[in-house]
Parts: sequence; C-alpha cells; structure tokens
Amino acid sequence: MARYDRADGSTSRRDFLKLGAAGAVGASVGPGWRPRRAEAKPAQITFIRESSYVKEFDEHFKNVLIPRYQQETGIKLVYEIVAAGGSAVPRNIAIVESKAPVDAGWLQQEWLFREGLLDVSDIAEEVGKQQGGWYPEIKNLSMWEGKWKSVPFGNIGQCMVYRKDWFDQVGATTFPDTWEEFYEVGVKLKKAGHPYGMSMGHGYADNNSWLLPLLWGFGGQVVAKDGKTITIDSAETAKAVDFVRKLYKDACIDDCVGWLDPANNKAFLTSQISATNNAMSIMISAKRDLPDMGKVTDHALNPKGPKGRFHSLVAVTHGIFAHTPDPAATKHFLKWLMDPKQVAAWYRSAQMYHAPYLHAYDKDEEWNKEPRFKPYQKVLETGKLVSWPAPADRRAGEVVNKWVVIDMFAKACTGASTKQVIADAMTGLKQIYG
Amino acid sequence: MSVNRVLEAARSASQILPARRPFRFREWLERESVFSWLMLTPPLLFLLLFLGYPFCYGVYLSFVSRQVARPPTFVGLGNFVTLWNDPIFWQAVWNTFRFTGAATILKLGGGLAMALVMHQNFRFKGATRAVLLLPFIVPTVLSTVAWQWILDPGMGLFNRGLVFFGLMQQGPSWLGNPTLAMVSVILVNTWRGLPFFGITILAGLQTVPAELMESATIDGAGTWGRFRHVTLPLLMPVIFIVTTFSIIFTFFDFQLVYVLTGGGPANATHLMATYAYVISVTTGQLGLGSAAALAMVPVLGVVLMLMSSYVRRD
Repeated sequence: MARYDRADGSTSRRDFLKLGAAGAVGASVGPGWRPRRAEAKPAQITFIRESSYVKEFDEHFKNVLIPRYQQETGIKLVYEIVAAGGSAVPRNIAIVESKAPVDAGWLQQEWLFREGLLDVSDIAEEVGKQQGGWYPEIKNLSMWEGKWKSVPFGNIGQCMVYRKDWFDQVGATTFPDTWEEFYEVGVKLKKAGHPYGMSMGHGYADNNSWLLPLLWGFGGQVVAKDGKTITIDSAETAKAVDFVRKLYKDACIDDCVGWLDPANNKAFLTSQISATNNAMSIMISAKRDLPDMGKVTDHALNPKGPKGRFHSLVAVTHGIFAHTPDPAATKHFLKWLMDPKQVAAWYRSAQMYHAPYLHAYDKDEEWNKEPRFKPYQKVLETGKLVSWPAPADRRAGEVVNKWVVIDMFAKACTGASTKQVIADAMTGLKQIYG
Repeated sequence: MSVNRVLEAARSASQILPARRPFRFREWLERESVFSWLMLTPPLLFLLLFLGYPFCYGVYLSFVSRQVARPPTFVGLGNFVTLWNDPIFWQAVWNTFRFTGAATILKLGGGLAMALVMHQNFRFKGATRAVLLLPFIVPTVLSTVAWQWILDPGMGLFNRGLVFFGLMQQGPSWLGNPTLAMVSVILVNTWRGLPFFGITILAGLQTVPAELMESATIDGAGTWGRFRHVTLPLLMPVIFIVTTFSIIFTFFDFQLVYVLTGGGPANATHLMATYAYVISVTTGQLGLGSAAALAMVPVLGVVLMLMSSYVRRD
C-alpha cells in the first residue's frame, strides 16, 4: 500500500492537500507562508503476484527491478508473493473486499471484481502502441464497457506435451494434426503401455485447456456471443462428448478423470503417461531434474477438429486496486514496469513462460533459444478466452469455476449417457444464465 | 424509662450493627460472582469477536445477493431457494452425509479397537501410543499431499502393494473412479481422525475400576462378557462425547477434500463445505456461498441438542 513518511516533519498525502490548499490561500494572501514540502510521494508501493514456476522470474524482479525502481524513484517496492496454482484469485478477492493495503497486482479472473479496479486505459493504450499492439482476444478480458480495467501481461500457454520417443515407436513421427488422429495414435500408445493423461478433474487450467478447444473444434459452444443464449445442447457437443468418452476409454489412463492441475505433471515426470495438455512447466522440470526425459519431451499445438484448431488462454494481467491511496504513483509504477526497458528482460527471464500479448515479442530472440517452446507463442494466434464466444463476465466465470463443462465430459467418461450429461450441463447453465 | 436507659439501649443496638468495613479491591475480586465474570470475559469477548461477529455477518450475507466488489441487495430467502433448486448442492448434501456417516462409524470402531489394544501391557507401549498420534498431529494439508502419492495409480503404495502381492495385475484408479474417490476421502479422514477416538477412549478405559472387572471375572464373565457388560456401559459417556465432536469435525471437513480431489471427479466428492467455498470464493457470490455454509448449521444444531440432552440426562 502506498504509505507516506511522517517522521521528521514530512507530510502525509492528506496533510499535503490541506497544506497545498492553505499554501494557495497563503500565496494569494501574501508572501511569507509556504508548505513544508513541495511534493509528496508514497514511501512504499505494494505489488502482489503469484509465485512463478520459473524461479528466475521472481528473482529477476527482486534482484533487478526492485532496486532499479527504488533507485529511480526513491519509492520502496514491496513484492508480495502468493503461492502458485490458484491462490491469486482468492487473494485478489480478499484484497478488493477488505481493501487490504496492496496497490497493484497480478490478476486472474478479473471478471469477478472489475468494479474494484482502476481504469488503466491510458497505460494499456500507450503500452500497446509502443510495443506492436495487443492480440485482439485479450481485449475481451482486459476491456470492460469501453475501458481498460487491467493491462495484459502474458499467457501461461497450454499445449500438448508429449514423449517423442514413444510416439516415434508407434509410427507417429509428427504429432497428430487432428483429434481423430490423436485418438488413433493414443490407442496404439495405450496398448504399448503408454496411455495419455488428459486432465478432467476439478483443476483450473489443464482441464479447460484441451476440453474447451476440443468442444470448439467440433463446433460446439457453451453460450452464444450475446452472453444470454445457451447453445451447449447441440449435435456438435454430442459428437465432442462421444469423442472424449472413447478417447478416455481407449487411450487414456483411468485416473485422469479426477486429476487436479499438478497430477499430470507428476504422471508425466514419472513416465506414466505419454501425452497431456500443460504449460511449459513439465519440460522445464524435466530438463532440470530428468535430463534424459527432457531430451525426448516435445510440445505441439492442440489437434484440430472439423471446425478448426483452438486453444484456450490462461491470461495473466496486471491491475491497480481502486482503493490505492495514490492512484497516480501506482499508475506510474505500472507504466514503468510495462516499459520495454523493464518488461522485455522480465519476460525473457522466465523463458517466455508468460507469452506476451504484445506483437513486438512475436519473433523475440528468446523464442529461438529453445525452439520447442515456440508452440506456446503460436497458441496466441488461435487462443480464445474460456468464455468464448460469450463475454468474459461473472457468469462465464461461474461456468468455469463450477466446472459445468468439465463435469459434462467427466460424467460421460464415468458411465453417464451423452444425453444425460448434456441435460445436466443445461441445468447448470440455466441456473447461471437464467 | 430514664433518659440514660434509652441512651444505653441505643448504644447496645449500635453495637449489634456490624461496623462498616472499608472497601477492599482484592476482596471484591475474590467474590465468586465477580471472579467468575472476570474469568469469563476474555473468552466471551474472543468468541464474540472471532466467532459471533463472522457468524452474524454470515447470517446477514445469506439474505442478500452480494457479489464481490458490488453492493448488497436484499433477496430474503432467495439464496436458499436457489440452493434448493441446485442439483450440485443436493449432491454435496448427500455426499456430506455419506462421508460423515461412514467415516464416523469407521473411526468409532477403529478407535475402540485401538484403545483396547493400547490398554494392554506390552513393550514400547509409550512409544507406540506416541506414534499412533501422528496422523492427528501432522497438518492435514501435508498429510493429504502424502496421500495423493500413496493413492497414485502407478507409483502409489497401495497399487504397488496390490500388484506386488499378486492381488491384482493393475491397481484401480483411487481418485479417478467416483465411488473409489469417495472411499478414498473417507479412508483418509478415518486415518486422520482415528487417534482422536483411540486416545480419548483409552483415557475412558483407564477410569474403569479394576474391582468391577475382578468381581465380574469371579461371577464367571468371560472377556466378551466383561467388555459387553462392564467396560462398554462405563465407556458410553466418553464414546458419546467423542462421537459428537467427531461428527461436527467431519461434517465441516474442507481441507482434505479440497486438496485431494477438489470435489471431483464430476462432483463425486464435493462436500457442503467445499461447495460453499467454490460458490463464495471462486465464483465470488458471497451471499449464496454464505447460505450454503449456513445450511450446515441445522445439522450442527441437532447434534448439539442431542449432546446436551444426553449430558442433562446424566
């Protein structure tokens, strides 16, 4: 939280305003009275962020960016880190609700609390103009009612992660291009003792990141673009459900229907599965701790369906909490942070784990250092928000967080009929969309 | 009557009246009515602040539609009506009863057996008692993460054991199969709660007078007879209290399910507590979430009524 030094006669912001007003009056009255200090700036700005799977990312912020900011502005920067893997949203909600002393932060699922955020249109527009422009899809999250409520940061990309050696062994020397081909290869791999592990449990990313693109690829949609019409009950959805059921039965490990987000990392790194959908974290861990596995692990884009290839975005943005006592200073900090002088090296410190939503980084040299990471950049071209095509509002968030679509597929895999699971999803959606 | 006599009578009357003693703060403090309130005030304030206030706020929230970062609007019983029509809520209610019922029965049976064994004399009895307390002492989140590994389909202790002993060619999916996932969370809850039963019942066992056992033996009662007609009746108050507490703890269990399954697969292990959390925190509907949490209170009320009526009967 922006705090103000009061020791040694310095002023708080409120004092300063009073003094400023008094000074103005004094100046108009006559010479001889001046405010004690010409300007007031916060002693401290608190910035909250979820800890990164790539530790160099947090280290870069602590060791390079914090000292630089303090040196340039004299303002102390407090970097508050919350645990990775879903703790950011509850923390954001708590900050907004209790007006906790935090000025700015990493945001996820901001559709839940946009009213608690400051308008940052000036920063977002300027950063976009300065660095090649924003990918259009992210605007559907960061912009609300014509204003930017957050400044997009990066996408924690979700791609297919697979064991190239095992795929080669069954004759799949390139990663399957369509979901149907993916199924056929999977059948062979499961027979060879290397099933897929496609998460379908109550996690937050690894389940949506393949089930939603698959549904969209088959032509199904949850809610129409108008944000009102429920469109899930369709022949396309039924085809997607039937496909996932057979994929699960014939090509997947049984356990994956209940997996939370860390489970597929664990299963992949213990050689129990041959493919999954995940962020870069599996390969980063494999290269660091299991070099032999690191050599035979590769990434690919999601397979395409009859209606095309899709990815879902796991968006990270930065925002300023509306209750910050010094919006101007906090805005200055966020603008400074997103300046290419700072943000470019920060992106690179994490090997582009957070793929920038800015076109200036599409061909950044960092992507060439590990070509196997390149699909995570390409995800942005076909990436959609989890609410797509409906607006990213509270109701869309409720659908995601209550796992309405995920459970539709999971129930089908555990024995329920296609008709029944779609009817259950309809009931859940009607309750949310009215 | 002479004036002197009257004065004398008045003097003696004044002597009968006790002398007015000066107020002493220490004596005032030691008065039972003062001292008891003095001792009661800090915990009462603590309860009011950290339990009473959140509870009352929760009751208020349950009657309003209150989304994160938005002002509240009064909806009366609207939130409860929404929950009444929510199939996931009913699934969570049903799951909570199954979970609490099964885990409590298992903990009671296991805890009684554990206490009876611990009551015997054997070497390393003290060390064994200490070790058996471990599940209760280790933080739930930590032990649940360990259970995630134990229940892992390929690497887990359970499935490796099943394969090693030739019982199965391939172990089941403990957390992927909806039925087994519920069995797993019940199992882990039982494992964690068993020492609470074991140690408390053991304390009860140690109060059973040896003379009663001896006279029962002289009367010809066997081991089962002594247990059935002497030990068990004397243990009943302890068993009743420990079971009541356990029902409350188990009914409100959150951490275990949240860490192990997140309520999945397909809501098969969603409990009222985990569902209330999802509604409140991850979907940001504080009013509806409070109503879901509050729906657990009537059950607690019934348990408390049963408990107090039993205590009063005794």
